[in-house]
Amino acid sequence: MEAFDKALEKVVKALAYLASAFIPCIFTMIVIDVSIRTMGITPPLFTSSIVEYGLLYIAMFSAPWLVREKGHVAIEALVSILRPTVQTVLAKFMYTICGLAALLFSYFALRLFLEAADSGQLDVRGVDMPYWAQFLPMTIGFFLVALEFMMFLAGLRHYYSYDLSEIKDEV
Amino acid sequence: MEWYWAGALLLGCVMAGMALGIPVAFTFLLTNIVGTCVFVIGRQDTFAAFIDRFMMQVPQVVDNAPQLITSFTLSPIPMFILMGSLFFHTGLAIKVFDALDKLLGKIPGRLCYLTVIGGSLFSTLTGSTMANTAMLGSLLVPEMQRRGYSKHMSMGPILGTGGLAMIIPPSSLGVLLASIASVDVGALLIAGLLPGFVLAGLYAGMITIMLVMNPDSAPSYEIEPTTWREKGYQVVVNILPMGFVIFLVIGFIVLGWATPSESASFGVVGVVILAVVRRAFTWGAFKTSLIGTIRVVGMVFFILMNSTVFSQLLSFSGASRGFVGWATGFEVAPLVILGAMFLVLILLGMFMDPVSMMLITVPIFYPIAGELGYDLIWFSLIVLMSLEMSATTPPFGLLLYIMMGMVKGTTLGQVSLAAAPYLLCDLILIIILIIFPMLALYLPGLMGG
Repeated sequence: MEAFDKALEKVVKALAYLASAFIPCIFTMIVIDVSIRTMGITPPLFTSSIVEYGLLYIAMFSAPWLVREKGHVAIEALVSILRPTVQTVLAKFMYTICGLAALLFSYFALRLFLEAADSGQLDVRGVDMPYWAQFLPMTIGFFLVALEFMMFLAGLRHYYSYDLSEIKDEV
Repeated sequence: MEWYWAGALLLGCVMAGMALGIPVAFTFLLTNIVGTCVFVIGRQDTFAAFIDRFMMQVPQVVDNAPQLITSFTLSPIPMFILMGSLFFHTGLAIKVFDALDKLLGKIPGRLCYLTVIGGSLFSTLTGSTMANTAMLGSLLVPEMQRRGYSKHMSMGPILGTGGLAMIIPPSSLGVLLASIASVDVGALLIAGLLPGFVLAGLYAGMITIMLVMNPDSAPSYEIEPTTWREKGYQVVVNILPMGFVIFLVIGFIVLGWATPSESASFGVVGVVILAVVRRAFTWGAFKTSLIGTIRVVGMVFFILMNSTVFSQLLSFSGASRGFVGWATGFEVAPLVILGAMFLVLILLGMFMDPVSMMLITVPIFYPIAGELGYDLIWFSLIVLMSLEMSATTPPFGLLLYIMMGMVKGTTLGQVSLAAAPYLLCDLILIIILIIFPMLALYLPGLMGG
């Protein structure tokens, strides 16, 4: 299990780095686009479409890494006053439903991806984008999110500190 | 189902999920599934029929999820956060503070005033409240403690000024609010400029009053005298170049050379150019800034993605329409309804982060504000002010915890008390905005928006 977790870490980190790499790509494209337009030359039509899809890829490719890093904001304060046994049960419940929901979304995103790829459907924007390109990051992202929650469920890590002073120190 | 039951179910699911400690993004995701089962699929004769409908309808939720996130108007959010992060990690921010420090000279409470002036300037260079507060705290709190400032005089101005980044452009939360509420992003960003500086003035006034009442709380101390030549050098080398970045972001929007979404990218390039010219740019700092940015942006965008369908469900179930009809049906002045919305935001802010608050309240509050005849840019500024206040209200105001993390040995009560006078300033600004709406609407009017 630990070997699998280490391999998973490499994958989610690689995707998070890829998500960060989208940011310089986006601002470079926008600056070039506006500069070209200011010079009176028609800018490329694809900039806005690529940027819009880039935002989705940033969200989905960073999501599994943020689960691992406990970066998705959660309100712990109310649960932190409960008894430790209740906290443990609640945490396991949370890992299970979040993991299952992510798995469900990954499955439906895969179905939509295959349907869109099969039909050749287009998303009409600045330039027409293949519709499947929306569901590709969702399939991968949600699937990895589900795996990350399973690692929590398996007891390899804990999402919660239940000690606000620790959160405070991290901040 | 009656609209109030529908609203109670959807909002109740979100509140319960958050209270149970489920991450906010997943709370919305799970609520979407529950809402789809109740309002879209509804009661079926058999379990098999229910599953059949489930397999047909839930893909629609997945299909709708990227609608809001794939919007060009959201592109400034990562850029505004990256700008602040780059300023911090390249050391440019420290150089600006050193320069301002030399300009102030020997006045009582100089570090408090430095906080307000530097924080306001930094607010025009970054869109992140957290970055602003963290930077001000890490730079100034140790020095204030060393100089014998009382806890409330060292923490209070930082908590107040840190929140200025929420209304002074560029503001990430401003862009987010404008995108969710479908109002003009550029107009909202520019609308925050004058009120932001008025608020900074109110903070400075509050510091002066507190110093008069208790001069020992921020004792004056000897400093090395700075020549006028040195002061001039500091202004030219460290402060004026910041005007270049401010011009790239705010100037480009006002002059109509670029949309807010585009000017944010120029802002990042401006910071990189400044860092390179000042020989402060390193790939390490750039990489650290990018990672820091993706932590915030990834979290916010993932929440946004999962909350898109939540807004649609509020509308589909009739809850939004019901709330609007109910709220506007009272025989009371519109100001009373505005006051009630403000109170709801402050109460929610005691337990919730600003993004979640926006996602829950915007689909309900904006139609009400529109129905009452309020200008939505002006109303958005009131909402941003409420969000700023909620970030410094106990028990869970985020900025309070950032401050507690930086000043060891402080209690939540001490930090909250230190923030209280500045919350009063926020309230005064809201009253000023209600009496003189043009304070917010004058600059957007110049844009022809």
